[in-house]
Amino acid sequence: MMILERNTLLIMAVLAALFPLLVGNQYALHIGIMVLFYAVLATSLNLIVGYVGEFSLGHTAFLGLGAYAAALLSLRMGLPIWATIPLAGVISALFGAAIGAITLRLRGPYFVIITLAFAEVLRIIANNWMGLTNGPMGLSGVVQPALLADASPLAAKRFYFYLALAIAVVALYLAYRFVYSNNGRAAVTVRENRYVAQSVGIQPFAYAMRAFVLGAFLAGLAGGFYAHYITFVGANVFGFAFMVSMIIMVLIGGKGTLVGPLVGALLITVLNEYLREFQELRMSLFGLIVIGVVLFLPNGLMGFLNLRRERRRATPAAAAESHAEAPGGSA
Amino acid sequence: MSEVQNFPTPMLSVRGLCKTFGGLKAVQDIDLDVNSGEVFGLIGPNGAGKTTCFNLITGFYTPTAGRVTFQGHDITGHSPYRIARRGLVRSFQKTNVLKALSVFENVLAGHYLSTRQTLLATFFPHAGVSRAEREARDSAARIVELMGLAARMDTPAFRLSCGELRLLEVAVALAAKPALLMLDEPAAGLNSQEAMRFGSILKSLRRSEVESIVLVEHNMSLVMEVCDRVMVMHFGSKLAEGRPEQVKNDPQVIEAYLGRARA
Repeated sequence: MMILERNTLLIMAVLAALFPLLVGNQYALHIGIMVLFYAVLATSLNLIVGYVGEFSLGHTAFLGLGAYAAALLSLRMGLPIWATIPLAGVISALFGAAIGAITLRLRGPYFVIITLAFAEVLRIIANNWMGLTNGPMGLSGVVQPALLADASPLAAKRFYFYLALAIAVVALYLAYRFVYSNNGRAAVTVRENRYVAQSVGIQPFAYAMRAFVLGAFLAGLAGGFYAHYITFVGANVFGFAFMVSMIIMVLIGGKGTLVGPLVGALLITVLNEYLREFQELRMSLFGLIVIGVVLFLPNGLMGFLNLRRERRRATPAAAAESHAEAPGGSA
Repeated sequence: MSEVQNFPTPMLSVRGLCKTFGGLKAVQDIDLDVNSGEVFGLIGPNGAGKTTCFNLITGFYTPTAGRVTFQGHDITGHSPYRIARRGLVRSFQKTNVLKALSVFENVLAGHYLSTRQTLLATFFPHAGVSRAEREARDSAARIVELMGLAARMDTPAFRLSCGELRLLEVAVALAAKPALLMLDEPAAGLNSQEAMRFGSILKSLRRSEVESIVLVEHNMSLVMEVCDRVMVMHFGSKLAEGRPEQVKNDPQVIEAYLGRARA
């Protein structure tokens, strides 16, 4: 599982790195950039949904905080993009620690509602704090990196593609290290059974918190990137539209796997573009897809593939085993 | 009692333990000592307060009164994870394992304490981290084999039989490398043949894996087989304590289990 995921991720990274060299089309590059942006977002949400095991509806809080942080650091303090994006992640992570300290004491629907409330409160603040966020007009003209000053639009797109790829690689490296370490195992143990976790020495809150803060950090990076790429940040970054996209990506791809959210990000971003002209149809279609996934593929596409792989491997072994055990019959 | 003289300071010492739920006195004034190297049985009719006692000692409930001392440290009212870190690890009456994970992954997850690391080492692992990981994996495989689950190594826990689940639960507890292992009805749901096999595994653990074991159990033949000393609880209080054969013939114990013979 671990090696399979690592190899899949490496192959995906290589393919992504080759993409701008093979494609000279700005529109295709833009879609590629959005896929990578959503890949980071979906990965960060997956750390909470898939590894803490609680359903957050307020993950846009961290996307928005990152976006506003990067925009403000760039516009007000003149910091370059190399500083604003990491700082956006750090600021998001700090808010993540504060919000997590409150919300992670709650379970199930209570967690869902309180996280949603945090995102909503931040959206209202962003819309009304004229002095800081420029209210509903938003922050426009977020500074582009100097080296793009006289680059062609295509070269600029390529630059942003590789920047997004670099962020995605960092995000997946951190997520991979976290998930396949003692931390990830502890988080999964807490998710699966809090009693077992405590009885083997795990403090449940500490590991939920680590995953939550890491998720907030990654979402903050994505937000920082978004601010520079779109060059405009408005209160919509706290809105529900981003949340819906992230949820669908994580659920379709498969929560609790690293590759799943990436597959989800790719599928949904591309599908979104194809259905751009049919706005109402798009939302209905996504609704149907989510219902279908929840009913028939509760662990998403990756969960489905893993199950099939496991069945194929288990069938011959199980047959041999039941044959061998038949005389004793005590297992 | 001759055994006690061999173990001057008890490993686990409980004094005056009480727990009330509203007006119900679930556990009243329990004293018990578990010595190093001992298998200690806690028995009694249903509702006698055995599991409550377990939960009080392991921190899942807070005692109303009394003291729990483990290896010289007062652990009364500590959180379960802190007690586990001291080397006192328990299993549960109602089977608790990580259902979605394989047998091996369950036992590996139990190795949490031996593979703890800083966040920095998580993201930028040094040689020590991978060594600890490798040792944990070897140890997990060894424990799975020890419990006789080698053939089920990669089977998800939800596919296991009831008997295998009980063995897995003990394996997960062992993975935390306890000094004192507390098992709450580990043989519940096992047939007599499985229970006997379980008993022989338990006896082998005491020497190789853990110092002492506390066992709550209804299966009397298992208790008689593996325990060095037994305490009988009835209505939340201590009824008798001693070697299994002494306790078995105690008239009060017989009365608690079977009722009084009519004169």
